[in-house]
Amino acid sequence: MYILGISCYYHDSSAALLKDGIIVAAAQEERFTRKKHDTTFPINAIKFCLEHQLITINEIDYIGFYEKPLIKFERVLSQHIEAFPLSIKTFLSSLPSWINEKLRVTREVKKKLKYKKGVLFVEHHLAHAASCFLISPFKKAAILTIDGVGEWTTTTWGIGEGKEIQLNKEIKFPHSLGLLYSAITAYLGFSVNNSEYKVMGLSPYGLMDRTKNIYYEKLKKVIDIKDDGSYRLNMNYFVYYYKDKMPSKKLCQLLDGSIRTKDSEITQRHKDIAAAVQLIYEDVLFKMLNHVYREIKCENIVIAGGCGLNSVANGKILNNTPFKNIWLQPDPSDGGTSIGVASYIYHTILGNERDFVLNNAYLGPSFSTSEIKSFLEKNKIKYSKVKDNKELINITAQLIHKDNVIGWFQGRMEWGPRALGARSILSNACNPKMQEILNLKVKHREKFRPFAPVVCNNDAQKYFKCDKPIPLPTDFMLMVYQIKKRWHKKIPSVTHVDGSGRLQTIRKEQNPLYYELIKKFGKLSGIPILINTSFNIRGEPIVCTPGDAYKCMMGTGIDYLVMDKFLIKREDNPQDMWNSEKYAKD
Amino acid sequence: MNKIFFFLSGFKEGMRQFGQTISIIINSGLLLIVYFIGIGFTSIIAKLFHKHFLDTDLSKNEKSYWTDLNLKKKSIKEYYKQF
Repeated sequence: MYILGISCYYHDSSAALLKDGIIVAAAQEERFTRKKHDTTFPINAIKFCLEHQLITINEIDYIGFYEKPLIKFERVLSQHIEAFPLSIKTFLSSLPSWINEKLRVTREVKKKLKYKKGVLFVEHHLAHAASCFLISPFKKAAILTIDGVGEWTTTTWGIGEGKEIQLNKEIKFPHSLGLLYSAITAYLGFSVNNSEYKVMGLSPYGLMDRTKNIYYEKLKKVIDIKDDGSYRLNMNYFVYYYKDKMPSKKLCQLLDGSIRTKDSEITQRHKDIAAAVQLIYEDVLFKMLNHVYREIKCENIVIAGGCGLNSVANGKILNNTPFKNIWLQPDPSDGGTSIGVASYIYHTILGNERDFVLNNAYLGPSFSTSEIKSFLEKNKIKYSKVKDNKELINITAQLIHKDNVIGWFQGRMEWGPRALGARSILSNACNPKMQEILNLKVKHREKFRPFAPVVCNNDAQKYFKCDKPIPLPTDFMLMVYQIKKRWHKKIPSVTHVDGSGRLQTIRKEQNPLYYELIKKFGKLSGIPILINTSFNIRGEPIVCTPGDAYKCMMGTGIDYLVMDKFLIKREDNPQDMWNSEKYAKD
Repeated sequence: MNKIFFFLSGFKEGMRQFGQTISIIINSGLLLIVYFIGIGFTSIIAKLFHKHFLDTDLSKNEKSYWTDLNLKKKSIKEYYKQF
């Protein structure tokens, strides 16, 4: 039985295909269209899913959509009625897409896919809950979902047991922890639904002391937090329910200045505000989780929703709550709901037992050796070919040890926003200048943003103060931990200003080639840790095809591209006119 | 021949843009009518009766802001509905 899950029309469109309850293919549309956070109908992602299984759309038994559009539309209309006449601009700009697409999902699916059956619609937060629980290793778990907003709901908690899910309580729009974080993201001059992670990365530069950070006290005025973690926002400080911007003038006054413009300097005040919102987020999250534990009395917690990408808070959960085990899937955000809705249909609605756990994120397209060779030959690209994986690992590890920047393109593309060793840029974490080199030559990103380390799971405890045992979401780069102090100066390029690192752990069974590469580098350098950053430039989606990878290398300062068994040296090939700096966006 | 082709393709593009502009004007006009009559009228009536469509109140006295949801499995027919 094949079930297709679809998520689109808000942000991060995606498609996921289940075959008899096993996720066989999943990808975000942005990787194919090359438009970051693409919201359009995921026709390319669906085509990939079908081609991967060599099936046609007629062989799909069910298609599921990740929300109930009419309930969401009711919420949108309620916003306009409440805010009349202030919402006229957003009404005029947003309503056509509702009329043309969002309220016609079944028609769009039938038209674009030539699908003859109906479409199932699952509530947004239920799709989130299913996306984390039904593919988790837990038979029973407490569930927490937090995002910007679904239909009406912004936060829920409940329980998952076997193949059943029940969401017990909710907090409704306009009160939203996700939108509070996004509003501060907008206030700090970053883009909403994209750059929240930059605020998280900026926060350690601010005062993380609740008693000394004046903006922490100020921001507490905009949110009323109860002991059980429930909350409401003071809507005098926000305009997002009727405008296309988020903070109100009152919020600007509270935070001692106007909204930061994109290219202006980031001051200590901005850093303190970033720290304050991170502290508030953690306050609410831990109160919520402690309350959920008291109600559910289960040691396992699964979390989904865009706020699940807050890896700094995730890394503190087991220390600040009674939960013993935690699980998040590689894409806890809206993109991940395509997996959620498909799993919900298969297990919960149709009643099939669970026997699948998502152990790795490699669910995207792959390219065979002959396909890559054909691409290289066709484009007259100079390359060399290694004879086997052992030689590939030896050569690549040596190149990294000699401070080269490597584009690593191997196997199936990752599911979710993080590069996890299939479409990664790898470099030497021991070189103190590597952060600067990567920023200037490749990533063109803000100096305050740290790079992430990757380490084999059996080495992680030596270098990081991880929870014991290391939680599985660490494999998906969703947990930030402190780096042990004696290693700070040894791996400076991945040590953030507060001594933390957003590590990825890798298990041999997940990706043997990647695992062996890190081990080999460890033998050369003495420290088996690499910098792993996504294979893209700022503002572009992660590369998907050999063409994307080659283009990215030639437009940046990546020294070598390692694609399958092919080694391509940038210097050996004519430099493209493609100027990555020109294309670098927010 | 090339000149004719160039003219025709330019003409076609011009007509497309013209069509788009006309459709934006008509759509905006219709949406303005819907906004002021549909949304506006409802909003005024709601305000007269103190009816709020978004719950924005804060209460220091309430112990919790959690509200009941009880969202669980329904029959498959319910999932074919968009509401």
